[in-house]
Amino acid sequence: MSDQRQLLADSVTRLFESHDRQHNFWDEIEALGIADLLVAEAHGGSGADWDDACAVLQASGHRQVALPLAEAMIARMLTSNAGLQLPRSTISIAPDAAGTLGRDGRSWKFSGVLQSVPWGRDVARVVTTLSFEGQTQVVVLAVADANLHKRTNLAGEPRDDLHFENTAVLAAQSSCREAQHLFYYAALARTAQIAGALQSALERSIAYALERKQFGRTIGQFQVVQQQLALFGAETAAATCASRSAAIAASAGDASFEIAAAKLRANQAIGVATATAHQVHGAIGFTWEYALRHATQRLWSWRSEYGNDRYWSEQLGRTVIARGADDFWLYLTGAGAE
Amino acid sequence: MHAFRFDPVKLPADAPAFRTEIREFLARELPSVPAEHRANCWAVFDAAFSRKLGARGWIGMVWPKEYGGHERTALERYVLLEELLAAGAPVGAHWIADRQSGPNLLRFGSAQQRRKYLPGMARGEILCCIGMSEPGAGSDLAAVRTRAEKLPDGRWRINGQKIWTSNAQHSQLMIALVRTRALDEKNRHAGLSQFLIELRTPGIRIQPIVDLVGHPGFNEVFFDDVLVGPDCLLGVEGEGWQQVTSELSLERSGPERYLSSFALFLELVRLAGRVDSEVLRHAVGRLTAELWTLRQMSLSVAGQLAAGEDPMLAAAIVKDLGNSFEQALPTLVQSLLGADIRLEDDSDLARTLALLLQTSPSFSLRGGTREILRGIVARGLGLR
Repeated sequence: MSDQRQLLADSVTRLFESHDRQHNFWDEIEALGIADLLVAEAHGGSGADWDDACAVLQASGHRQVALPLAEAMIARMLTSNAGLQLPRSTISIAPDAAGTLGRDGRSWKFSGVLQSVPWGRDVARVVTTLSFEGQTQVVVLAVADANLHKRTNLAGEPRDDLHFENTAVLAAQSSCREAQHLFYYAALARTAQIAGALQSALERSIAYALERKQFGRTIGQFQVVQQQLALFGAETAAATCASRSAAIAASAGDASFEIAAAKLRANQAIGVATATAHQVHGAIGFTWEYALRHATQRLWSWRSEYGNDRYWSEQLGRTVIARGADDFWLYLTGAGAE
Repeated sequence: MHAFRFDPVKLPADAPAFRTEIREFLARELPSVPAEHRANCWAVFDAAFSRKLGARGWIGMVWPKEYGGHERTALERYVLLEELLAAGAPVGAHWIADRQSGPNLLRFGSAQQRRKYLPGMARGEILCCIGMSEPGAGSDLAAVRTRAEKLPDGRWRINGQKIWTSNAQHSQLMIALVRTRALDEKNRHAGLSQFLIELRTPGIRIQPIVDLVGHPGFNEVFFDDVLVGPDCLLGVEGEGWQQVTSELSLERSGPERYLSSFALFLELVRLAGRVDSEVLRHAVGRLTAELWTLRQMSLSVAGQLAAGEDPMLAAAIVKDLGNSFEQALPTLVQSLLGADIRLEDDSDLARTLALLLQTSPSFSLRGGTREILRGIVARGLGLR
């Protein structure tokens, strides 16, 4: 890990841990400039790359920070790259908008639905991407203009549906990779959060196994429990390594293969990880009061968000089969860090 | 979580050119290898092919030139290994010498021992085997009973038995772990030493063990009053355990730990190209994600090894996940086949599947069982 990335991860970890999980400390996030990490320096941001951003998001997943940080990072990058000047506000993203963008003179209109917008009810604006006359437009919508249906994911994080009817919106053409493939970068961000939440569930499970006594010894002394936790550890390592490798690939260029593989691998880890975490904890892990659920409920939700296993298996499977067996290794080794 | 270090590694800038060079070599030297021979290819013995690799400078690549090596980098060697394995090249003859015995000699051997064996190993002429397991010492390696007794004239007299020794019948040299002092139950790891034993030495008898597919792959090796010189002790007398455990990160994290079933994966991709099936596509997708991740993890450990670290925990994780992947692949492929494909068919797919169904159970045994590896990981997590 580079020193700078480590420093960043350490400082945001300190910030996240100094606050209660449900507490809104958005002002402090803004004060540190974390939400502007991916915004170019020329536009007033930090000009950090995806590797740095994912280090922060992994830390936020580890702490289960209940704020739209990943969403704001991406939204601000998209809008600043598209040259859209916005007043400073809370902002989220909607990577799979269903609807139509229309032009009326110099102004833009949108009709349609943005589904499962993270913290839709809490933010002032939402950013999505839509195609218009063959070009990708970054579109900014005001939540106040929406007919909002509140939904939450399993962890209680808002995932609201926003309906718009011929609403005036801001739009600007963008050719940046993140705008062309917003869904992929949203998945990359979730993957980093998944890695963090897996680590937190693992740490909690190890601590509990070392403390809880049955049959006169801690349950962590039983080999059968050790073996389960070792596998949980290995799965967590795999998801973390996949997330980091995809983030580095995204910093370097086209990372559609790496992001698909990383989200899918992280999704796969969630099954073993959550099952083992709860098995080790026994009944206490199943209570509202005990903190394990904050990690596991997020993991169950995040597995479905921005592409579940079926979605990414289909994407990757199609890509690999179309290239053919004879080119597979060439493709795999060329797609990596080289 | 400091225990989990899998920092990504950047391969050398000339890696793509080197890959091309390797691929051209393989296209020339291995024009057609049946798919089932490409599977688990680091267990496929072909001494002539190993000598060709040696002549090319591709054995002992990272060793010093004075010992017949080529002073290339560890990551260049990684590129070579993964290219050879992905192509299914028969690299079994020299694999142990290149991966383990050579580095072991460089680390613990005397200058004279290195001069004597390393250049021959690098040419692919001196082949090596590992003398660790015994009938009573499998996972519990400290239970080895083969004894080396020091004689007044400085020579050693070795008595005992090794078992499951791959390629002993073809090898010139074994690095054996033996007791040089009696077992102390309070300190079981003490009193072990490593010896370089030339297998033509009188008193050694090698008896093949035929495996369940009918291959005479491994052996029993009996030592009956075998006399070796003082120069056959490798490293320090009594420190065999520390020397052996330092080999294990080399042994556990390489690309061979997840590519043993790769030939079958390619057959699955070919099948999915012929049959339009969502189930097959999704299997290919999931396996691809796993392969890519394992490669990133394995590369990361290679980077740590290259930086002079001993990533024992990370190496154990790579082997555990890698073995589980290469082991699950055959049963998964079997479960996906249509009724028109039979296991006894004479096709690349069927023959490779049939072989791997039967040999893959050994993948999580060789080089440290799954249970031992998870014990290491549990220790790394602070559980023991």
